[in-house]
Amino acid sequence: MSNTPATAAAASSSKSKAAGTSQPQEKRKTLFQKELQHMMYGFGDEQNPLPETVALVEDIVVEYVTDLTHKAQEIGSKRGRLLVDDFLYLIRKDLPKLNRCRELLAMQEELKQARKAFDVDEKELVD
Amino acid sequence: MKHSKDPFEAAIEEEQEESPPESPVGGGGGGGGDGSEEGRAEIDQTAEEDERPVDVRRPAKKSKTSVAVAEARNKDDDEEEEEENMEVELTKYPTSADPAKMAKMQTILSQFTEDQMSRYESFRRSALQRPQMKKLLIGVTGSQKIGMPMIIVVCGIAKMFVGELVETARVVMAERKESGPIRPCHIRESYRRLKLEGKVPKRSVPRLFR
Repeated sequence: MSNTPATAAAASSSKSKAAGTSQPQEKRKTLFQKELQHMMYGFGDEQNPLPETVALVEDIVVEYVTDLTHKAQEIGSKRGRLLVDDFLYLIRKDLPKLNRCRELLAMQEELKQARKAFDVDEKELVD
Repeated sequence: MKHSKDPFEAAIEEEQEESPPESPVGGGGGGGGDGSEEGRAEIDQTAEEDERPVDVRRPAKKSKTSVAVAEARNKDDDEEEEEENMEVELTKYPTSADPAKMAKMQTILSQFTEDQMSRYESFRRSALQRPQMKKLLIGVTGSQKIGMPMIIVVCGIAKMFVGELVETARVVMAERKESGPIRPCHIRESYRRLKLEGKVPKRSVPRLFR
């Protein structure tokens, strides 16, 4: 009755979505495309990686981050909040990643301290 | 756990255990394309040896760091959004200073060809963008607040994962004796191998309606 136009519209829109990326109107929302090109070059690809390769790597990375975050949330839900330590726990077996994360966190701490010191110095100069 | 074991040093030791195939280039010098391939193999060895920031090429960057800090101070309130400049990764941080490693790194970097240097620069400077990652994390977790350390950590993990993907894809290409840009079929094979190695988190529920 009055529902049919709405359901028909919903059905057609879902149909066009189900057709996937073959539809010309649909645009893939890329999150990391530009940076991924530089990154892939840095890791061993050509200077200009193929766009389909970049798109595939982006999809894989998004799926990886999503799955990793879901797992971390499962772990974090036991203690309440999602914490950084949940991610560190998940990659505990992967030593290169673990050490890199520790390095990044340490660098961030240092930057925070440096900024605080900068603040203090500026205040002293003003006074 | 070994003290201050470099992430890439550890990766290199793991690789040496697995004895990866040599660079896909057959024979010595060759043309520009070959040069870049060789450069890649060399960079894999050297860049992974020490990820420690290098001061030799860009001593001026140190002053830029303080400028970046000033900028960051002006910009941020509680969320330290853009505090880290790209140059920061290239300046030395004294916490994990190792003069022997630094010296080794200097000698290696000084001998880089232009091609190798440009690739190394891309390797060091590229990073997934934090605002985008934050958007993704908020979408996945459903919570509105994601702390900065978490974004930084996830960006780092993801970057290393991309590295594993691309390097494994190059290994796959070497096995198939192909050259040129990496194609999606190589990435798919590389992804399959990483899954077998257990480096990809497995979903407890299979993914439907992709």
